[in-house]
Amino acid sequence: MELEPISVALKFGFLAVLYLFLLWVARSALKDLRRGAEPAYSGPSADYDEGATGMYSASTPMARDIGRPKLRVDIAAGLAAGSAYDLSEGALLGRGDQADIRLEDGFASSKHARLTPQGDVMVLEDLGSTNGTYLNEEPLRGPQPLHAGDKIRIGDSVFSYER
Amino acid sequence: MSARNRELLALIPASLLVTLGFAAIFIQRNELLSNVSLTYGGIFLGLCFVAHLVIRFTLPYADPYLFPLVAVLACFGLVVIYRIDDVLARDQAQWFVIGLIAFVATIFLLRDFRVLERYRYTIALAGLALLLLPRVPGIGQQVNGAYLGVGIGPVSFQPAELGKIAIVIFLAAYLRDTRQVLVQGSRRFLGVTIPPFKHLGPLLVVWGAAMFMLVFIRDLGSSLMYFGAFLALIYVATNRLSFVVIGLGMFAAGAYFFASTVGHVQDRIDVWLNPFAPGLYDAEGGSYQIANGMFAMADGGLFGRGLGAAVLRVPDGGPLIPAPETDMIYAVIVNDLGLVGGLGVIATYMLIAERGFKIATLAADSFSKLLATGLTAVMALQVFVIVGGVTRVIPLTGVTLPFVSYGGSSIVANFILLALLLLISNRARTPA
Repeated sequence: MELEPISVALKFGFLAVLYLFLLWVARSALKDLRRGAEPAYSGPSADYDEGATGMYSASTPMARDIGRPKLRVDIAAGLAAGSAYDLSEGALLGRGDQADIRLEDGFASSKHARLTPQGDVMVLEDLGSTNGTYLNEEPLRGPQPLHAGDKIRIGDSVFSYER
Repeated sequence: MSARNRELLALIPASLLVTLGFAAIFIQRNELLSNVSLTYGGIFLGLCFVAHLVIRFTLPYADPYLFPLVAVLACFGLVVIYRIDDVLARDQAQWFVIGLIAFVATIFLLRDFRVLERYRYTIALAGLALLLLPRVPGIGQQVNGAYLGVGIGPVSFQPAELGKIAIVIFLAAYLRDTRQVLVQGSRRFLGVTIPPFKHLGPLLVVWGAAMFMLVFIRDLGSSLMYFGAFLALIYVATNRLSFVVIGLGMFAAGAYFFASTVGHVQDRIDVWLNPFAPGLYDAEGGSYQIANGMFAMADGGLFGRGLGAAVLRVPDGGPLIPAPETDMIYAVIVNDLGLVGGLGVIATYMLIAERGFKIATLAADSFSKLLATGLTAVMALQVFVIVGGVTRVIPLTGVTLPFVSYGGSSIVANFILLALLLLISNRARTPA
């Protein structure tokens, strides 16, 4: 019996089965990607997502129990004194369009400072502004964790941190 | 269709591949069409079915595709090793069964895998000891210039395979604690976030360890594997690309320095750059292996010679490619099944990596996320190191192709790794 054709058929059969199997698995992987994160399975606080790694969404849900961190306006041109901004997702302060909290202050840079929640601490960071950021009337050097009641001054605008 | 039924269904093509593969080899070898191949396929399906039942009852929500994908790789291993040497294939089949037992044991013993976090330092010490064991005089074995094996009496194993899991568990536990600290206090310079110098400490320690391995264990591949997995972990933990960029730069600088100063590393680089140079090709421990591997892969062409049809021995009986069943198994697969078959193997690994990172994104707590990332990354990098080595992308080092290469410790360790991934997956996907 001549087995050569069977041998060739088996070779291509092997490859065909392999690739059909891989396609089937890949199809479901693609479906997963299109659907995004499956909400039914996501973590306890996955409704906000910071960063590509999704790591921060997995951090302690304690931050919410303490109370939402807020930035209250003490004096600022163009902003109502006494109003407060929610900081649970962080905020960018500056004069530019991308800023979450727009400062109409001549001494403010377009991207002046950033507030970033890290776990249950809020970190204030100067983004290389021209005139600097002051924390409790001391110039900010490097990122600093904030405590409730801290005063942040940028130019002539003053804010206080609350939580 | 439920996840578990999908898994069961996916095991059928995997077993069919075993049958088709063995049938092709029997024809090639004995000119006969034997139904023994059906028996082998049946046994394989039976074994996988038992493991599937364990998963079904203990981890009902675990990822359904990981286990079948691994079964396909194990099938490649059994078929191609059988095609190289019957006796080795029998050993490999036994190791496959032992691997499945280790898989099931891990699932039962580590139902709550988070206890691992508590023993992080014990695990780290055990991992380091495992890595250094091959250098202990008397039991260490030197293979191809690298110290990777340990032999106690008749039993020999590669402790680094288990060591990689221990190291990843430690790094995941460690970074879970320190990631908050590592992201604080960074400056931005020219649009790049620069972490403060003191936070580079852990990076420097791991870099030192990787360089130490390079010189002491004499293995560029493993050190690349561990360091790469660490960078993947630190990226996920801190979300800072700067750590990865700095780390890669440091690794490249260190590797370049040692490649130009340490003799055996330099030899490897020469062999890698000039495999066809006549002096190197004929030299003892020269480029014979890698050059012949290249010839074999070229001989395979697009669809290959057919399973069992490629030439493995030179006329005087010596092996055409040294170590075809371990380091060079990828070259044999490409010779038999061609570029298409080789890409199939790589695609299988890529899908496993995709499932692994998917598990990491679904996981709710940081330790699970980091552990899944690390385990997936270390396995994916191992594939890169060996396939890259065989195809001359990077210098060749002797790590195994997970689940495919001949070798008991590799199979057992990788089944334990798979069990951990499925445990994380089950926990992450359990509906609240």
